[in-house]
Amino acid sequence: MPEASKMKKPDVKVVLLGDMNVGKTSLLHRYTERRFKDTISTVGGAFFLKQWGPYNISIWDTAGREQFHGLGSMYCRGASAVILTYDVTNWQSLAELEERFLSLTDTAHHGCIYAVVGNKADLTDSKAQLSQDSDGVSEDQIQEEMTKPQVLSACPTPPASPASLSGMSLNKQVTREDAMAFYGRILRYKGLEEKGSLPAEKMCFETSAKTGYNVDTLFETLFDLVLPSILRNRNENLQSPTVDLEECRGAGSKRARSTCC
Amino acid sequence: MSVKAFELVPAVERDLLMGDKARINIECIECCGKHLYVGTNDCFIHHFLLDEVTSAKGKLSYSSQKLLHKYLGLKKPVAELRAASALERLIVLCDGIVFLVDMVTLETVPSAAGGGAKIRGVAAFCINENPVNGDPFCVEMGILSSKRRTVQIFMVYEDRVQLVKEVGTPEQPCAVSVDGYFLCLALATQYMILNYNTGASQDLFPYNSEERRPIVKRIGREEFLLAAPGGLGMFANAEGVSQRAPVNWSESVIGAAVCFPYVVALDESFITIHSMLDQQLKQTLSFRDGHILQDFEGKVILASTKAVYVLVPLPLERQIQDLLASHRVEEALILTEGAQRNIPKDKFQILHKRILQQAGFIQFGQLQFLEASEHFRKGQLDVRELISLYPLLLPTSSSFTRCHPPLHEFADLNHLAQGDKDKVLRCKKFLISYLGEVRSTEVANGCREDVDTALLKLYAEQDHDSLLDLLASDNACLLADSIPWLEKYHKYFALGLLYHYNGQDSAALQLWIRVADGDLQDPTRSDLYEYVVDFLCSCSNLDLVWQYADWALQKDPTIGIHIFTKRPVSKDWPQLNSDDVISYLGKHVQAQLLYLEYLVLERRIQKEKFHTHLAVLYLERVTMLLSQSPIDEAQLSSARDRLQALLRESNLYRVQILLGKMENCEQLLLERATLHGKLEEHDKALHILVHKLRDFRSAEAFCIWASSCRDSAYQQQLFHLLLGVYLDGNRPGKSQAAAAAAGGDSGDLEMAAVDLLNRHGEVFDAVRVLRMLPEGWSLQLLRPFLGRAVRASVHACRTSQIALGLANSENLQLLHDRLKERKKPIFVSEKKGCHLCHNTFSEPDVVCLPGGVPVHTQCVAQRVRDSPTKRLLTNSTNHT
Ligand SMILES: Nc1nc2c(ncn2[C@@H]2O[C@H](COP(=O)(O)OP(=O)(O)OP(=O)(O)O)[C@@H](O)[C@H]2O)c(=O)[nH]1
Ligand SMILES: [Mg+2]
Repeated sequence: MPEASKMKKPDVKVVLLGDMNVGKTSLLHRYTERRFKDTISTVGGAFFLKQWGPYNISIWDTAGREQFHGLGSMYCRGASAVILTYDVTNWQSLAELEERFLSLTDTAHHGCIYAVVGNKADLTDSKAQLSQDSDGVSEDQIQEEMTKPQVLSACPTPPASPASLSGMSLNKQVTREDAMAFYGRILRYKGLEEKGSLPAEKMCFETSAKTGYNVDTLFETLFDLVLPSILRNRNENLQSPTVDLEECRGAGSKRARSTCC
Repeated sequence: MSVKAFELVPAVERDLLMGDKARINIECIECCGKHLYVGTNDCFIHHFLLDEVTSAKGKLSYSSQKLLHKYLGLKKPVAELRAASALERLIVLCDGIVFLVDMVTLETVPSAAGGGAKIRGVAAFCINENPVNGDPFCVEMGILSSKRRTVQIFMVYEDRVQLVKEVGTPEQPCAVSVDGYFLCLALATQYMILNYNTGASQDLFPYNSEERRPIVKRIGREEFLLAAPGGLGMFANAEGVSQRAPVNWSESVIGAAVCFPYVVALDESFITIHSMLDQQLKQTLSFRDGHILQDFEGKVILASTKAVYVLVPLPLERQIQDLLASHRVEEALILTEGAQRNIPKDKFQILHKRILQQAGFIQFGQLQFLEASEHFRKGQLDVRELISLYPLLLPTSSSFTRCHPPLHEFADLNHLAQGDKDKVLRCKKFLISYLGEVRSTEVANGCREDVDTALLKLYAEQDHDSLLDLLASDNACLLADSIPWLEKYHKYFALGLLYHYNGQDSAALQLWIRVADGDLQDPTRSDLYEYVVDFLCSCSNLDLVWQYADWALQKDPTIGIHIFTKRPVSKDWPQLNSDDVISYLGKHVQAQLLYLEYLVLERRIQKEKFHTHLAVLYLERVTMLLSQSPIDEAQLSSARDRLQALLRESNLYRVQILLGKMENCEQLLLERATLHGKLEEHDKALHILVHKLRDFRSAEAFCIWASSCRDSAYQQQLFHLLLGVYLDGNRPGKSQAAAAAAGGDSGDLEMAAVDLLNRHGEVFDAVRVLRMLPEGWSLQLLRPFLGRAVRASVHACRTSQIALGLANSENLQLLHDRLKERKKPIFVSEKKGCHLCHNTFSEPDVVCLPGGVPVHTQCVAQRVRDSPTKRLLTNSTNHT
């Protein structure tokens, strides 16, 4: 928390988007504080500054609640990476990404990269149940007790799937293939060619904020991928009356909206 | 959760403003320096002078004095008031009309000749506090029209207003703020940023302005605070980006302002204060009928419908101290660090350090040592603050006094731990590790003695292994202060080390000796005696060595002698004189012997005195052992071995002395033989060996030993001598005594002679031997000797022939090599002619002239004979 206060100017912005209750806040907590703890549904948004080598990366956690939906575009403005998060036990959460959240990314940086992340993999996948967090092994027991009742009760979305209410064995409602197909549609929506873009295999993750499964991999992969964007940002500020034709072609019409009005 | 960040102080009370007229409400306020203007719903402007009064206790209050009030004549509420102090004008919005009044007289300013000073149809306006236009005598104003979807930019002069720009908006705007060229607008369904210069716009986010009153508040350069859906306070900059996380207000916020680092907001019944640093709600003040909240040049003023208040921020330091007092370390630090840009650098550093230190002590009190030490380090805590918490750790000589005001609330460790022994122990362990870490850093500069002494005391008390490491390495422990402490914990060995470190070796030794003798108890070293010996070994103070050597030797001479024998031998180290040592050791016989052995056998000192002395001591020991009964054979044989070895190997001792000492000793014949050998009295020696001892093996060994460094002739002579002794002894009449000693068994000597010949045949001169041997001996008896003698002679002959042959061929080879090195081959053939006589060659023998020219031998001889200089030719060779 003190990091956020120091007001260093961030070099790059990463935004977590997704329906309420999919676990955005939990993912960020897991990554920054190395543990899984109680959350309350996020109000508005919050951000965290991450020092990544010499760079400062701001990671914005947004609120999934409908009420705050309108703020999304603003949070995404100028973002270099957007993490579109869904809940693997909830088909609707993936559908919402496409229906409600994808359009919010229109304001993102023209070279923005997208990751599709299915969280709560621990509920469906035995390999995600093992704690991956090297420094939080002993906490697991406590977490177990702390979170079980929540998993059962914290599902205020009205048409909650019967599976999620039955608790113990939740059905996986979204497969990785579904997520990868969605990733393909994101590229199409952005007017990007599949060939020139990052491949779906690389950009679709299944994670568990609860066990830490894949969480570090997710953030670190993204940070490594946005580094070029940081460098480009810096260079753009310094020089460059030259126009990169590659980029113009890729960004297409979106660019007009995000950079000039 | 709460911090007391602000205090609500009444500024203008109801009485002063409207007396008992119940229907009159405050509509707007403006504050400019000490001048407070209040607009009311009955179309009056009231002008007050606000004076800050600080009471003796430091409490702030306001005294207000009413200067004037003025009716504007429009019968409508005064909607907004803004001061343009440079123009001495108030800009007033009333009944949809903007106009100017004089700040002092409150008179409406009449229109100037050239243009109007009134704008009609105005819904709201705002002043640009960061105008792009640099003219100080005009004010830039943004106007929202009540009917049109436009924003107009006006310049306000002393007596007129001038429209400079008009920009359209997609919807009806209802609130506006401006900074530079950037208008931040609340429209009916959303907020947007509009650059009035370029017309470029940027949507921010949707907001239903009909449902909830929007708030558009400029909070700094190109940054605005907006009321967002869900009761959020959102930040947005001119690029449409949010750089701070939103704060969470209630749904019904009426007004908001920033008073760094806080966001202050007003709703129907509360003032809420959030920190911009961590977005947390920090303080809530109840405030009924809240109506207006605005900040004027950093001063936050609120109004209910009836009265005006000032929200006075408490001094930052006080807020921080309050946080610390309730142990909210993290927040206190965030607040401190957040204030960095508002405080001069050097002042900030002092404050920051102090807060870090206080935070450290709070965490220390909670036994959160990891965090505490981090904060102590960052805050560059004077470690003595920490040490002084522990009773008696600081040296009595320390000049330290705790800083004032104190950094913490603890009197000392006992107060902190409240009798909890485990707590005390953990605190001590922490201090040990903390001091261990900082003692070599600059934190310890200037108080190294205090730190090291405290550490020493802790180590001693806690029976910590590092005590010895501390004392054995560079340290600044104060001796006087440490003595009683180390004595108290029976750390005598350690105390000795400290004495030594302080150059008081004598005190150290005295103490150690008392421990080694069991007068004092300190189990640190079970081998303290050996340690003391080692210490004396390398002790540079020779007086001390002499002083304590006696003690060491008495305890155990074999180890004690190490003082003298293990002393490092080096030029720049005070050395002991060997003679002094020997005479000193007179009363320690065993040690003296060991010392002489060290000199003679180990150091190999070539001094007759030592060698003789050692030999005599050896001899004395042997004689002593011999005189005992029963004789301890094992000891005796080892003692004799030593004696014999020395006698054999040393060439320095005085043979005569020793010989004299064992002249009459028939038990030491072997030694005597050796001594005779030393004197080259080989016949005497052999006589003893052969006739007295009848030890033929030893006799043979004697010959080998006595000739060991001599040539083979000498050896041969010795062997012949021995052979002679054998043979003579055998000859009756010649050596009666020997024959008698042999006890008639003269065959022994004969056999010995045979054995000698057969075993060492190669040494003898066979011819001489044959002449010496008695006639009657059988060939068979001497077969091995003779066989070997013949073989040896043949072998010698052949070997020499081979050697001769090899030498010849080597010579030839060398000649060949030399030629090859020096020259290319010279070809001689029957077709070539001699250069001198021009006849061809018929034989391979030629002579080469310098330059490799072959000529006939006889021609050269001729030429040399003829040549006046008789020059010699250099190269001559054979070629085939
Ligand atoms: N089993 C399981 N539960 C999770 C996981 N991540 C989050 N949760 C639970 O899901 C619920 C919602 O988590 P949050 O992190 O608050 O979700 P969010 O996406 O931030 O929600 P909003 O802030 O409302 O948008 C909480 O009860 C979490 O305990 C996960 O990986 N596994
Ligand atoms: Mg959340």
